[in-house]
Amino acid sequence: MAGNTSKTIVVAGGSLAGHTVVAELDRRGFTGEVVWVRGPEGVAPYSRPALSKELIQGKVTPDGIRLPAQEYGLRLRIADRAVCARLDPDADRVLVTRETEAGGESSDGEWIPFDALFVCTGMRARVPQGFAGLPGVHCLRTLADAERIKERLAGRPRTVVVGAGLIGSEMAASLRSCGLPVELVVQGRLPMEPVFGAELGRFCLDRHRAHGVTTRLLTTVTGLSADGPDGPAVLTFDDGGETTADLVVLGLGAVTACDWLDGSGLDLSDGLGCDEALRTARPNIFAAGDVANWRHPLFGRRMRVEHWSNASAQARHAVESWQAGQQGREPPAFADVPYFWSDQYGLKYQMVGHARDHDEVHVETAGAGGHPFVTYFRKGRVVAAAGVNAPRAVMRMKARIQSEGMTTEGAYAT
Amino acid sequence: MKLTVDRNLCDGNGVCMGIAPEVFDIDDDLTLHIVDEIPDDPAIHAQVRQSVTSCPVLALTLEE
Repeated sequence: MAGNTSKTIVVAGGSLAGHTVVAELDRRGFTGEVVWVRGPEGVAPYSRPALSKELIQGKVTPDGIRLPAQEYGLRLRIADRAVCARLDPDADRVLVTRETEAGGESSDGEWIPFDALFVCTGMRARVPQGFAGLPGVHCLRTLADAERIKERLAGRPRTVVVGAGLIGSEMAASLRSCGLPVELVVQGRLPMEPVFGAELGRFCLDRHRAHGVTTRLLTTVTGLSADGPDGPAVLTFDDGGETTADLVVLGLGAVTACDWLDGSGLDLSDGLGCDEALRTARPNIFAAGDVANWRHPLFGRRMRVEHWSNASAQARHAVESWQAGQQGREPPAFADVPYFWSDQYGLKYQMVGHARDHDEVHVETAGAGGHPFVTYFRKGRVVAAAGVNAPRAVMRMKARIQSEGMTTEGAYAT
Repeated sequence: MKLTVDRNLCDGNGVCMGIAPEVFDIDDDLTLHIVDEIPDDPAIHAQVRQSVTSCPVLALTLEE
């Protein structure tokens, strides 16, 4: 990439997407300066999926989940415990300030001009007002969150997990696998139902119960308080019930961390809006990872995908889009079929595609365990598939969705 | 291209299989299998490199 030596690229975000953007710029021979603003955590990038699984269960240490540090040919300036606090789109510069995880932000900052900006700021855990800061009450998003939870486990706490999406369900399984008494509060009818649908949701519920997790279905937490400075926490529910816990893990989802772009004129209606090639309305600003809201060409609809594979694939793609622009080429659309997995009680749940708005499911069994395998259809076409310990069947469906979508542009469009 | 997997780390998460299905296969016991001969195709080589850096448990090692 000749002629790039004097350029500056700012990468906002210190998790997988940001890490991959930096590595990809380097791999493609970018020789200018990269300012990598890694966010409030103050730690090198790590594998986030391991937090709710291997790390909580003590199978790996924090050092064991660090993403490999690399030697880069580009000039890299790393800003740790620092965030992009504001974007000045007309002057192509960002204000970088020091910030700690506790939320303290210093008033001083540095405006850094950029030739290109990659927004990979991801998400933060959603914690309802009044639920934060109570003894024994934790969310799980960061390594620090996981370490705080882990510190409590030696005391054999009575544990309540609130929310039964991916994080809540995995945390309930991991904590139960550590031998702790666990109660799982499910807002809907079944755990993971919004993701997987009723069939696998029922299967997931049965697994929790078979392993001795107490479940409360169709229940919302209406109040959370502390009975004394060291707890226990007291939870009240919308059905009038109440329970106490030494450890409460909140799995109530996450919100996109792009409020620093308020007032920039970029589309922030759900994450950061991009075109099919992950470009924002500003031609030199790109997004990748959880925060990126783009129109998926196969599914013909806008989406965000909050999973590991997507973060690294989009990061590479965003760099390709930037480079295409530099070379006067039209950048390609990002069309990867979404994929995620979940580990619960030694079982591997896997899902490919995009099941939202499906209008038909087909349930069979697949894999050595004879577990349910679900294929999701929309208007007669396969849009997603999910199974348990059935990686071959799942990946076959991924290839099918990709190839059918490629041969019929917009095949899955509404 | 010499590709190895650390079986103590590999968890059968399937990210590699999703990226490079011609190179990686995971059976229903969640054991990863790698093809004996990686096809001599630049596109597949790129997929392999991507798989190595995308492994969530850092179980793959590549020597080129």
